[in-house]
Amino acid sequence: MSLKDPLPVAKGRLCWFSPNWVLLLLSTLALGAFLGLEIVSVAPNRIVSGTGYPVFSALGWPGTLLGAGLILALIGLSCMADQRHYRGAYRAMLAIVMALLGLMPFALMVAIHRLVDSDLPQARLGIGAGFWVTLFVLLLALVELRTRLALARIWSWSLLIPIGLLWWLCLSLWLEPLALMREYHSRSEQFFTAFRQHLELVGTAVGISLMLGMGLALLMRRYPGGQKAAFAVLNFLQTIPSLALFGLLLAPLAWLAANVPLAASLGISGIGWAPALVALVAYSLLPMVRNTFIALEEVSPAVIDAAHGMGMSTRQVFLQVRLPLALPVMLEGVRITTVQAIGLTTVAALIGAGGFGTFVFQGLGQAAMDMVLLGALPILLMASVADALLGAVSDFLRPGGAK
Amino acid sequence: MSTKSATHNARSPWQLGIPLVWLSLLGLAVTGMAQLEGVFRLFEPDVRSVIYSRVDFSLLLGRHLFVVAIAALVTITVGLAAGIAVTRNKGRDFLPLVSQLASIGQTFPPVAVLALAVPVLGFGTLPIIVALMLYGLLPIVRNTLTGLQEVDAGIKEAAQAMGMTSGQILRQVELPMAAPVILAGIRTSVTINIATAALGATVGASNLGDPIIAGIVNGNTAYVVQGALLIGLLALSVDSTFEQVQRRLKAY
Amino acid sequence: MIELFHVTKRFGDELAVDDVSLKIAKGDFCALVGTSGCGKSTTLRMINRLLEHTEGRISLDGQAIRDFDAVQLRRRIGYVIQSTGLFPHWTVARNIGLVPRLLKWPSAKVHARVEELMDLLGLPEEEFAHKFPHQLSGGQAQRVGVARALAADPDILLMDEPFGALDPITREKLQEELRALQARLHKTIVFVTHDIDEALQLANHLVVMRAGRVVQQGTPLELLHKPADKFVESMLGGVERGLKQAGLARVADHMLPLGSTLPAESRVPGSMTLRQALSVMLRDHTERLTVVDPHERPVGELSMRKLIRESKADQGHQREH
Repeated sequence: MSLKDPLPVAKGRLCWFSPNWVLLLLSTLALGAFLGLEIVSVAPNRIVSGTGYPVFSALGWPGTLLGAGLILALIGLSCMADQRHYRGAYRAMLAIVMALLGLMPFALMVAIHRLVDSDLPQARLGIGAGFWVTLFVLLLALVELRTRLALARIWSWSLLIPIGLLWWLCLSLWLEPLALMREYHSRSEQFFTAFRQHLELVGTAVGISLMLGMGLALLMRRYPGGQKAAFAVLNFLQTIPSLALFGLLLAPLAWLAANVPLAASLGISGIGWAPALVALVAYSLLPMVRNTFIALEEVSPAVIDAAHGMGMSTRQVFLQVRLPLALPVMLEGVRITTVQAIGLTTVAALIGAGGFGTFVFQGLGQAAMDMVLLGALPILLMASVADALLGAVSDFLRPGGAK
Repeated sequence: MSTKSATHNARSPWQLGIPLVWLSLLGLAVTGMAQLEGVFRLFEPDVRSVIYSRVDFSLLLGRHLFVVAIAALVTITVGLAAGIAVTRNKGRDFLPLVSQLASIGQTFPPVAVLALAVPVLGFGTLPIIVALMLYGLLPIVRNTLTGLQEVDAGIKEAAQAMGMTSGQILRQVELPMAAPVILAGIRTSVTINIATAALGATVGASNLGDPIIAGIVNGNTAYVVQGALLIGLLALSVDSTFEQVQRRLKAY
Repeated sequence: MIELFHVTKRFGDELAVDDVSLKIAKGDFCALVGTSGCGKSTTLRMINRLLEHTEGRISLDGQAIRDFDAVQLRRRIGYVIQSTGLFPHWTVARNIGLVPRLLKWPSAKVHARVEELMDLLGLPEEEFAHKFPHQLSGGQAQRVGVARALAADPDILLMDEPFGALDPITREKLQEELRALQARLHKTIVFVTHDIDEALQLANHLVVMRAGRVVQQGTPLELLHKPADKFVESMLGGVERGLKQAGLARVADHMLPLGSTLPAESRVPGSMTLRQALSVMLRDHTERLTVVDPHERPVGELSMRKLIRESKADQGHQREH
């Protein structure tokens, strides 16, 4: 074939407008949600469903203009974020997003002041879809800005923690008529009990499965014949739905409590923490064993060879070379397990194990959505915090330190 | 070819059998649960009814499958589309956000997602479908991204240099090479969703979670066992089917 | 014919290729040589528009490559890379038949062509057609890579360090095969390598690049005789340059007719390179060698003195040019 044959001609492309499309989309969405959806709702008491209010009636013109102005500034900046002065634009956007996040609790205060009748002791302000969507989109923008500016993990936390503190301050001091806070105040003691129970269950389960997992992984390294069978059993355990496993443990543990006096005196019974703990450990074993095993196996044979060659004993090689090198991956297993256990413990509330799941399922039972939120939001927070903390530790332990 | 097909023939009969065994066990359990009354009587000698009979088991299974299937259909379509879109040149701007979101989203427990869906969507089947979609999306997006990004740059370049169009590279090179990883994502998503769907019983969606909740509430272990048995068999059938397909894909 | 006029490539602010002009004639075997990062691969990849040049003009047979559709252009140019870039999920036969199928050849024709190419590259069809790339050795995979590049019978073959990852013995074998292939097919080949010996062995047009610029170009002998600067000289082996040059010549081309003197004891075949012959002289402590034909019959003799006189005359000849 020859190159002289006629060929179709390619078309050129024009490129004069190059904004950061992600941030442009996000800020436009935020503006739409802020102006178009209901920001808050007000109900005279717990039973009656609230009436929604758009941003104009909730915040008045000054508040609306301030919020919309800041979001418009985001839109403008995201159009300017081309290659030349992108860092400046991104930093400015980061400042605006932080400011918006910081202003949000004050917006709720304004809304309470304007909309909630202070003569009604049970009147409450619900957070509306507009507020949630704006918050969510702003957090997404934060993630995007963090990536664009290549901020280290520690930086994004030092930005988020003051905002969190500000929210907490506003919630505890001035936002009492918020529906969420009304729910919290009517059961603050239960809230802390649930928190404690949740932490205890997750902590114990992760602790036990860490020990068992390490032991199993070490055994599997010593007896390679058992690997396949062990992983098959652990995989099988993971496919059983959590709800079913919790339910299935009711009977044997109840039987144990009835027939073994020692078990009963330890507080083991068919419902409560005992079946929850057993199920949590059963679920936690697979990620724990898998990560520990892989971590130990994956250490480069050349390094181990070199260590032996330098005259280290088997024990020294394990403790000084293999284990430290495997530690970050093992911690990854702990992280996955912990996050998973936080979620599963929620379900354990169904068999009377307590924890935040109690609020979720009670709330669902009573159709009290604020109560559901009171349970679900702390779970999300706990999971995110655990994820971030353990991720940071594992980064720190990685040879060469945090990235 | 000859060595490969030989090993295939030697292995396939009993390997293909595993999903079939689980499936037939599931079928037997659904139709013949009432025949096992004697067995369940052992769990709960004292209660009046030991077989959950408020709704027919086959109907519960059907509803369960329906919810999971709808969610899977949507998540596979959306997840694949999103994963492909953000790895193309035009959508590459969105790649960091989407991949971060897919990993951050993994930390959200499915129960919490379900609980948050109820205030917005009310009770019934809709919130559970939406929660399953949201939660099931993440592993698919994440694995689609991983799979597509893991395709060796040298191979993509070779494909381009041979004169393949970007559509041809996607369909003939990138997707087939990423398929095992993508399929693993779909498998995780569907298996998790089968288990999570049972939680729908707590928000008023009737499915195989019903007997379990009823059993827990009434202290009737026999009910719990029946629900758990069916969900477990369903999960194992689907999971082992996926495993077979994955094995086939990894043949090269 | 490939022509580059004042071609420049920038990645952001970084200048990768700086004002390069080349003329690669039809049937030429052109090697781009240089240290890593000198812009040789970038230059190659601009020819099939895997990279777009920033300034200047690249043309094929007088027509600017920007006028072609990039995809159609690439289907007419063979391309071989170091890691072979074979599709791991396709069999050898399917890999080789890729471009013909892209060009919508009828399947019988594709099949015949694949068979022909496998035969050409010494890959028995019944043994290799259904193998997958991971079942091949490095040398076999590279052969498949070359076969794939040749599949649609392109006029031009671009090769980016194709033998870089192979062991020395396999590399030498494939170089030999490539030379034989080129003698039969007369393609226009642009070959990127950092191995000067490989370039001297294979190419008839050598382009030495450094920091994005062409330092010198010409035939291997021209460069060996008259390196433009210290860089080219060190690239060509410094003081061993003479040996490299000797490595390009055959004993048969430099032998004298059998004289009246007693034939030397040491015998070498006429197909040997001068470099190897010199090595034999050093080994056997002799100034003269007897040259024999494949049947071990003496056909001439090689003399160290004569060689030195010859090369002096040669250099004088070069200077006149």
